Amino acid sequence: MGDLGPFWLSLRVASVATLLDVALGGPLALVLARGRFHGKSLMAGVLMLPLVLPPTVLGYLLLMLLGRRSPVGGWIEHAFGGALVFHWTGAAVAAAVAAFPLFLIPARSAFETVDPMLEDAARLLGRHEFSVLWSVTLPLAWRGLVAGVVLAFARALGDFGATLMVAGDIPGRTQTAALAIYDAVQAGDNARAGGLAVLISIVSIAALMVAQFRGRPRGAGA
Amino acid sequence: MNASPAPTLEVDLEHRVSASLTLKIAFALGREIGVVFGGSGAGKSTLLRLIAGLVRPDSGRIVLDGEVLFDSRARRGVSLRRRGIGMIYQDDLLFPHLSVRENIAFGLHGMRSGLAADRVAEAAAACGVERLLDRRPATLSGGERQRVGLARALAPGPRLLLCDEPFSALDMGRRNALVVRLLDIQRSRGLPILHVTHSPAEAVALGGTMLLLEQGRIAAVGPPIELLAGQKRPAVAWSPLANVFHAVLDSQLPDQGGSRLALDGGLALVVPRLDRPAGSPVLVQIRADDILLARGAVSGISARNQIEGVVERVITHGHEVEVVIGAGGRTFLVSLVAAAARQLEIAPGAAVVLIIKARSCRVLDDDESSPAPS
Repeated sequence: MGDLGPFWLSLRVASVATLLDVALGGPLALVLARGRFHGKSLMAGVLMLPLVLPPTVLGYLLLMLLGRRSPVGGWIEHAFGGALVFHWTGAAVAAAVAAFPLFLIPARSAFETVDPMLEDAARLLGRHEFSVLWSVTLPLAWRGLVAGVVLAFARALGDFGATLMVAGDIPGRTQTAALAIYDAVQAGDNARAGGLAVLISIVSIAALMVAQFRGRPRGAGA
Repeated sequence: MNASPAPTLEVDLEHRVSASLTLKIAFALGREIGVVFGGSGAGKSTLLRLIAGLVRPDSGRIVLDGEVLFDSRARRGVSLRRRGIGMIYQDDLLFPHLSVRENIAFGLHGMRSGLAADRVAEAAAACGVERLLDRRPATLSGGERQRVGLARALAPGPRLLLCDEPFSALDMGRRNALVVRLLDIQRSRGLPILHVTHSPAEAVALGGTMLLLEQGRIAAVGPPIELLAGQKRPAVAWSPLANVFHAVLDSQLPDQGGSRLALDGGLALVVPRLDRPAGSPVLVQIRADDILLARGAVSGISARNQIEGVVERVITHGHEVEVVIGAGGRTFLVSLVAAAARQLEIAPGAAVVLIIKARSCRVLDDDESSPAPS
C-alpha cells in the first residue's frame, strides 16, 4: 500500500475540522434551540447552506473568501504568517464548512429535547448559567451531541470537492486520503486506492460504533 | 395575610400573561402555609414563577424577609439564584441523569463536602428518602419522586417554599401522606409556604390561609374551609383528606383485637390491629362522615373511641352541616345532617363527644414501598 501520509493527513484534517465545528456549532446550536429573536429561521437557513450547495461551489466561495488577495485571507496571512489556501489548514477549514450542518442539526435538536424547566430548576437551586449548561444541559444533550460529532467527523474525513478547491491536491502537503484514492485510481494503482479506502472505512465505522456505545441513554436503569 | 404580626413575604404585582389574562395581585404571608386556589387559567402557576424570579413582572414589588427581591420603581431585581426560594413542581423536574443523592445535593454547590453531606442526610430524613439515595429518578414511584423533589428544595435551607401543584398527579393515599409531611416540615421549620392547587380536598387538608384566585385577581382570602363553604358544594364532600393525624403506635390490645395509637397532642385512639412494633410512627385518617357526635359520654355502645371536644365553628350547606371541633389539641372535622345538628344544639362553644369506630380509622402509608415514614 505504501505511503500512509494521506491517511494521517485525513485524520488530522477531519479532527481539526470537527473541533472547529463543535467550537462554532455548539454555541450556535444552543442559540437556535433556546433563542427567540427575529431572523432566527434565516440564520438557520444560511447555516444549512453547505448541505445543499455543491461541494465545488462551496470550495469556490471559500477560495474567494480566504484567498491571499481577499481581505479575510490577507488578514489571516498577516496575523498568522501564512495562508490557509493550498495548506492543510485550508483543507481543515473546507472540511469543517462542508461538515458543519451535520453537527449543527443533531446538536440543535439535542438541546431542544432538554426541558427548559429543568434548567430553570437548576437556576433556582443557585446555579449560574455556565454551571447549568455543564451540569444539566450538556449531560442531557450528550447523546445528540455525540451523534453530531461522529457525523461531522465522518463527513469531514471524506470531503473531496471543497478540499480540492481550497487546498489543492499537493502530494505530501494537502493530499488527503480522499484525494489520494482518486489519484491512485486515475493512475491505475488499485492496491493503493483499495488500501486507503479500507483504512478510511475502518475509522468511519469505528467512530459510528463509539457513538452507539456512548449514546446509550443515561439515567435509565440504576 | 392573617394575624401574623410581621409578614415574611409581601407581594404586590401586576403582570400581563396574555391578551385575556392580567394578574393583579397583592398579599402578605407570614410563617404559614398560603394555599393559592383556583381553576386552570386563573394565573396560579404564573404567580409562583413571578415570585421565584423565573418571569419578570411588568410592575410591582416583592419583599421577602425584609429584603426587596423586586421593585419595578426602584429598578431593583435580585437574581433568582440569590433569592433563597425553593420550589417543587407538578412534573417533579428531578435531574434524570443524577442519582437521588446528587439531586438533593444539587443546590449545595460550593459547600464543603462534609457539610453538604450532612445537609443531604438531613433533608433526606425529613422527606423519608434516606433509603433511595443511590437510586436514579427513573426507578422511583411518583410519590417517591415528589419526596425527593421536596428534599432537593429544602436542602439549601430556603426562606420560602413554592409548591406548584406538586401532588396533583398522585393518588389520594400518597397525596394525603405528602400533605401531612409538608405540614410537619412547615411547622418544624417555621417555613413560609405558598402552595398552588386546584384540589379543594388538598386545600382543606393544608389549612392555613387560602387565596382564592379568579381571573388573575384575588377574589377572597381566608381559611380554606370557610371559603370553600361559600361555594356550591360543601367542603366536606371534597375533603376525604380531613382528619389526618400523625400518631405513634402505643400498645397492642390483644383482648380487643386492636392497637392503641397515641396522637400528637396526647389523644389515644383505638384502631384495628397493626402488626408493627410499639413506637412505630403511623399516619391515621378518619372520614368526616364516619364520626358521630353526642352531647355527653355514651355507654353500651360498640364504638371503641369516645373523645371529648368543644365545637369551634359550624358551617351550614343546605341539608348538611360541617362542624369543626377542637379536641386534645387537634382539630376534627365532622359532617352531620342539619336536622341532627339542630336537635343536638350544636353551636360554637358546645361540649361534645366524638364517637369513632376503630374500623373507621384508616392507617395511611407514605408509599407501598416504604411503609413507615420516620
